[in-house]
Amino acid sequence: MFPRFTFNITHITGALTPWCRFTVFAVFFPSDLNTMNKEARLKATINQKLTETGERERLKELLRAKLTECGWKDQMKAQCKEVIKEKGLEHVTVEDLVVEITPKGRALVPDSVKKELLQRIRAFLTQHAS
Amino acid sequence: MKMEEMPLSSPDNTKLEALMHDIYSELVEDACLGLCFEVHRAVKQGYFFLGEPDQESMKEFEIVDQPGVDIFGQVFNQWKNKECECPNCNRLIAASRFAPHLEKCLGMGRNSSRIASRRLARNNMSKSESDQEDNDDLNDNDWSYGAEKKAKKRRSDKVF
Repeated sequence: MFPRFTFNITHITGALTPWCRFTVFAVFFPSDLNTMNKEARLKATINQKLTETGERERLKELLRAKLTECGWKDQMKAQCKEVIKEKGLEHVTVEDLVVEITPKGRALVPDSVKKELLQRIRAFLTQHAS
Repeated sequence: MKMEEMPLSSPDNTKLEALMHDIYSELVEDACLGLCFEVHRAVKQGYFFLGEPDQESMKEFEIVDQPGVDIFGQVFNQWKNKECECPNCNRLIAASRFAPHLEKCLGMGRNSSRIASRRLARNNMSKSESDQEDNDDLNDNDWSYGAEKKAKKRRSDKVF
């Protein structure tokens, strides 16, 4: 999907719908870094490093593979079928699916997958956090 | 900072933990969104339900469990006692003997050329023979396919 930052980028114009984020590459204007506090700076740096080193993509692929392997994807597809039956095949929108699926999806990730991912993120952080 | 120096001061640690969970949540949400887009496209392009069996084909190919019939509903010995008319010689041959008969009749297959050449050889030999009894003897052997009789025939041929 698209890499995203979790803080507001106020100097880039564009529509921000509730579930849509902009694709932004890891570029900072010097003024931004000065106005950010230490925490935000750390977060920004880590996100930048995640993208630059390709670790974000690797983590995404790992997560996708694990979720398919453990049956989460099939489970979620069944949930999608319910939504489709409810809303009708012709009229179902992405919004419908996202609103129904995302909370369930977050909750149904198996613990083992969650642990493994957190472990890898932690390893990355301890390596790159200065 | 070395990895061995794990015990960080508590506030830093909790901040890192929070950041870790933030990144994790982002990744999970990304996976969910990806799935939604994938499913939505499949629905709109019409291939979402393609992989599933529909009721009609399920009924059509249901396993049959009746006596005297195989699981497809076909009878086992249906063609055992039937007779077929040979297109070549127009005789009625039993179904189980039909294929070998056709082989001989049409002059195809492995043995038919051998038999034909044997017959030819014998006819050539017997043409030069004036002895009628010997001919009959040889002709009798024509319709047998046993290996021992072949050997006998050859020996008798050599003698002549």
